[in-house]
Amino acid sequence: MFLAWKEMRRNKTRFLMIGIMFVLISWLVFILAGLGNGLTTLAASTFKNMAADYVVFEKGSQASMGKSLLSGELTDELLKIPGVEAASPMGIIMGSAVRKIDDSHEAKLDIAIIGIEPGSFLEPPVAEGTGLDAGRPTYAIVNETMKDEGYERGDTFALDGTSVSLTIAGFVRNQTYNHVTAVFIPIDHWRELAFAAPGSDKGIRNPVNAIMLQGKAIDPETVNERLPGTETVTRAQAVQGIAGYKEESGTIMMMLGFLFVISAFIIGVFFYVITLQKSNQFGIMKAIGARNGFLGKAVISQVFILSLLSIVTGVLLTYGTAAVLPEGMPFILDTTWMIAYSLILLAIALLSALATVRTIVKVDPLQALGRVE
Amino acid sequence: MTQGLEMRAVSKYYDAGSERITALDRVSFKVEPGEFVAVVGPSGSGKTTFLSIAGALLRPSEGEVLLNGKDISKLPDKELADIRLREIGFILQASNLVPYLNVMEQLLLVKRMAGKITEADKTFAARLLEELGLSGRVKNYPEELSGGERQRVAIARALMNDPSVILADEPTASLDTRRAHEVAALIAHVVKSHHKAAVMVTHDERLLSYCDKVYRMEDGRLSPAEPVPVA
Ligand SMILES: Nc1ncnc2c1ncn2[C@@H]1O[C@H](COP(=O)(O)OP(=O)(O)OP(=O)(O)O)[C@@H](O)[C@H]1O
Ligand SMILES: [Mg+2]
Repeated sequence: MFLAWKEMRRNKTRFLMIGIMFVLISWLVFILAGLGNGLTTLAASTFKNMAADYVVFEKGSQASMGKSLLSGELTDELLKIPGVEAASPMGIIMGSAVRKIDDSHEAKLDIAIIGIEPGSFLEPPVAEGTGLDAGRPTYAIVNETMKDEGYERGDTFALDGTSVSLTIAGFVRNQTYNHVTAVFIPIDHWRELAFAAPGSDKGIRNPVNAIMLQGKAIDPETVNERLPGTETVTRAQAVQGIAGYKEESGTIMMMLGFLFVISAFIIGVFFYVITLQKSNQFGIMKAIGARNGFLGKAVISQVFILSLLSIVTGVLLTYGTAAVLPEGMPFILDTTWMIAYSLILLAIALLSALATVRTIVKVDPLQALGRVE
Repeated sequence: MTQGLEMRAVSKYYDAGSERITALDRVSFKVEPGEFVAVVGPSGSGKTTFLSIAGALLRPSEGEVLLNGKDISKLPDKELADIRLREIGFILQASNLVPYLNVMEQLLLVKRMAGKITEADKTFAARLLEELGLSGRVKNYPEELSGGERQRVAIARALMNDPSVILADEPTASLDTRRAHEVAALIAHVVKSHHKAAVMVTHDERLLSYCDKVYRMEDGRLSPAEPVPVA
């Protein structure tokens, strides 16, 4: 620490430059992570926040809601399977909500219409208003982002392309599906909307898209054996099955991965060059008795101080950015991930410092005697 | 037990391709506490090699190097570093200070390498700096010092670990005549006042008057030189 700190104090500009570079890298990492997190949340928050453990799809549907069609009557049979504590059907269609502004203008909003059984474990708790009621099939609970669009409790909106209208009974939090606002309605009513066209239910009784299961001890194999024509996956796998989800999160993860590789190189090369520049000093100090360990510790603690300060600054800047970003921007900071990425960056820096320690070991104290130029 | 530094039939060979260069050829030599010895000789004669072996920077190919009676010629690197840290004071050519440490810190660094810095160390460092006329420059950085002052700091640093022997490799190489005399005189002074054995390698024959003995190095062979006429 003695050497590390003294040197940084004496060469403020140089270390400030490296620090700024490091801050920018960590800032970029955090922003990208926040954006990725925001996007995937938008794509799947309804699924992610759902109190279900497993999802039963139609066989061959690749865990995709849109491709899967099952009979809701399977629910009763599922309940008989060991490990299944609760089962509840669900269906999703995409649509638009239409609101009249004046006689010649209307505002449209993309929504995901999700049918669930009122009062089941799939119904999210309302933050405001009342929940679903099978006796009031046209009353919906909607994601609170609809408030930003001017909707209020008790408002009625039409569904584009249909003669159906829904009334807002209450608002729920963090419920989006495929990047759009989730609107929950009783599943019986949902069925009327989803299979309005004759024959679109393929003759299945009580058709739904999937059945969600609760129960940690469920064995998907058993379910598949008992109910041929079904395919049971974990909730996490079902999230992966959401259209575009895998591609989107994959792209962001790839960018993050590249960013880590790039930062490893940049940081590594920087520390390496700095250490090389100082090889003369290291030679002198070795000549007067410094051990490799003493110099190595100095370099590593210097990198540690510098990286820590830079990463903390990066974190602060990221929270600052989050505060000024527009409301609708899908940007969510997850503390656990922030800590994880910080630690990865710190590890990268320390590893590159460790690599430069090898350079120090190679410095010959003889060069201090002016023989080696 | 012999105090100071002694070499017994020390040889050093370098392998340069197929050739074998004899940099030191059976050198025997001795310097005692309170004695200031100079080694002169033409370029390439082996002076730096000699000093490196004396200073535990290099192991000889043959022969013994006794520091306070202990043979250090076959010790591993780590222990050699320890010997340098505790037993040897180096005064190197110009710019051998650490650029980002102030004068006081240059001295304390030596103690820091060996462990913790104590109050006694600070007092000792301050006394050394005073002795070398640097009291007013304690907080200055190397770039703010003149060449002569830098070498005085280097002398103080060489004394900081209370070494058995002080080794100086062309300590006046980058100084003008007046400063060179000043530095040589100061080394001679601390050798007496701290009762240290000291060896100085130099090109500058005018400085030999400060030394008690003069040796001449030629083709790796060391021999006593004629006593120099006092200037
Ligand atoms: N690492 C090495 N490998 C091969 N030969 C070397 C090596 N170091 C020194 N030599 C050779 O050993 C001889 C003595 O070198 P040394 O540096 O001790 O001379 P010097 O008296 O200090 O010269 P100068 O006055 O120019 O500094 C020279 O011939 C030199 O070329
Ligand atoms: Mg030399």
